[in-house]
Amino acid sequence: MSQLKRMLLWATLVAVILLAGLSVCGAFLGAERAQAFFNSLPLVVYWFAAIALLATGIASFRRLLRVPSLLLLHAGCILVLLGAMWGSEPGHALRKRLFGIDKIPEGELDIYEQMQEDRVVVKDANDVRRLPFSVRLNDFRMEYYEPGRLFIWSRDGRDWRMPAKAGQTLALGGELGTVAIRRVFRNFRIDLREDEPVAYDEPGGSNPALEVTVDRPGSAPGKRYVFERRPGHTNPDDPLAMSYFRAVRDYVSELEIVRDGQVVAAKDIEVNHPLHYGGYHFYQQSWNENEFGEYSILMVVSDSGLNAVYGGYVCLVGGVFWHFWGRRTLHWFRTHYTITAKIPGESQ
Amino acid sequence: MEIKYTIQGLLIYITMAAYLPAFVATIARRTRAGRVLFFAGFALAVISFVYRWIHVRHVPLQNLFEVFLFLGVACYPISWFCRRALRIGGQWADMLIGAIVLFPAGFIFNAEPMQLPPALQCWLFAPHVAVYMLSYVFMLKATFQAGEHLLNRRPRVEETVIPPEQATYELIAIGFPLLTLGLVLGSWWGKLAWGHYWGWDPKELWSLASWLVYVGYFHWRHMSGTKHPRINSLWAMMGMLTILVTLLWVNLARIFAGLHSYAT
Ligand code: HEM
Repeated sequence: MSQLKRMLLWATLVAVILLAGLSVCGAFLGAERAQAFFNSLPLVVYWFAAIALLATGIASFRRLLRVPSLLLLHAGCILVLLGAMWGSEPGHALRKRLFGIDKIPEGELDIYEQMQEDRVVVKDANDVRRLPFSVRLNDFRMEYYEPGRLFIWSRDGRDWRMPAKAGQTLALGGELGTVAIRRVFRNFRIDLREDEPVAYDEPGGSNPALEVTVDRPGSAPGKRYVFERRPGHTNPDDPLAMSYFRAVRDYVSELEIVRDGQVVAAKDIEVNHPLHYGGYHFYQQSWNENEFGEYSILMVVSDSGLNAVYGGYVCLVGGVFWHFWGRRTLHWFRTHYTITAKIPGESQ
Repeated sequence: MEIKYTIQGLLIYITMAAYLPAFVATIARRTRAGRVLFFAGFALAVISFVYRWIHVRHVPLQNLFEVFLFLGVACYPISWFCRRALRIGGQWADMLIGAIVLFPAGFIFNAEPMQLPPALQCWLFAPHVAVYMLSYVFMLKATFQAGEHLLNRRPRVEETVIPPEQATYELIAIGFPLLTLGLVLGSWWGKLAWGHYWGWDPKELWSLASWLVYVGYFHWRHMSGTKHPRINSLWAMMGMLTILVTLLWVNLARIFAGLHSYAT
């Protein structure tokens, strides 16, 4: 092996060990600080050096060029690094400066139901920018695992849970008596006009609650309402505390993209199912509510460089499987074939 | 540590009770008995995994309990494949690995079924975890081979197997593509669920570090060949150390709280 090749391989080893070490250090920093660290100037120099090293490696080692699997996996690494740089925030800034391409790298779009919005709060920039089209939210909803659960705690530290279904009962034992769920409300409302307040379910809104009775030995059953969103106060004399919980199964935003008054794309986005349009991905990130009602929070992310990264992934994965699995499998078949082919020859 | 007084717990304990005597029988050179017990343990591990699947009604690879249950299943087919196709010895180690990986499932991790949070409801979830787990079993086997090489042990029972240093390389060569695929599938899923194919999360960074340790291993071995075989084996063991941290520490330690912490 020539001196240059040896040096290149040593440089590769140092670069790989350095990156492994930095990754371990980054794990102690937490995601946000690690991201800032890996995008800092010294690391930008490192990324460029890594690309240069890979390219020089491919150019200098014949085997890396001649063996397709090796070429594929090393070239895949270059593609991933280039794509990641192209799609990074500094990459966006550079393209704006050089080519005048002005794209929002990442931001947040808050939108109410039945409203149209094109303003994006740019991440880490305290800046509001406009998209070249608008997003309309037709409906936003949260889906839950049904039934929810009623959690019960006693003052002496014991706890129970039961499915939040009408008709369910649970004997807590001793003085604590039996808990029964009488009704399940999706949108709890109470009418106080009568002598006896009347609880009812009003279609449309959302205020999930349970009507629960506690039947203690020697006293009349006590009725109470347990709310999902407003846990309320616990009476200091009450031997039991309760809470109603429903796990979220999904958040769904029914979106339309409107350009020049025309709907050009539509999708019900959920977690794991973003909408892709006009060079951006729209993700269901979160939701919130204020005095105007519930609103959906969408994350808007530029798709720059993504194809290169995914292409690089395909090359890398294809390359390593071909190199380590494919060649071994071929070899196995070849030896197997040779042995069976030889048998007639041997018998002659 | 707690004993699970459930059918699931019982199945895990019986599986362990088959894997451990299989290991003892094999090192006592009762190879046949060892293999029969190992197979019986595997059959029980499959029943245990399927039972869990039916119980939670999704592919049971969501938390550490389920992941270790899966590892308990995977070690037998991998052992069989390595012995038959790659001529790699150390079946005793596979039996021990089976018992070791089931220990945390049986005694440490919480088996309470969870409702899948939205981010985990993705078709990439099961392949991402499964592929990683398979690669971890190969890398763990490689570590045992590296250990055999460092301790200068001769293969115990199987005479027709390849030498431990070479076996270490072969096993890493089989496990590495799976490790790469696991990393890439995780990155793709991260893009779908969180908007970024790379989030600089502690778990991601540890998994990148472990992948890089193996990249370094290949290049080092390419450079030095078998001139420094002990360093080759030590390097392979380093890889396993980073994998262990990726798999356990990150999920358990508070200092690494991040997007992957739900898996505790
Ligand atoms: C992150 C970046 C890299 C990755 C993932 C990577 C991965 C690999 C893998 C998996 C192998 C196969 C090892 C084997 O067959 O045992 C390999 C071989 C090799 N790599 Fe890299 N490599 C990287 C960077 C580099 C760089 C920068 C160079 C340039 C100096 C380089 C030069 C080589 C050479 C010369 C071989 C040996 C080919 C042979 O003769 O079999 N690699 N690399």
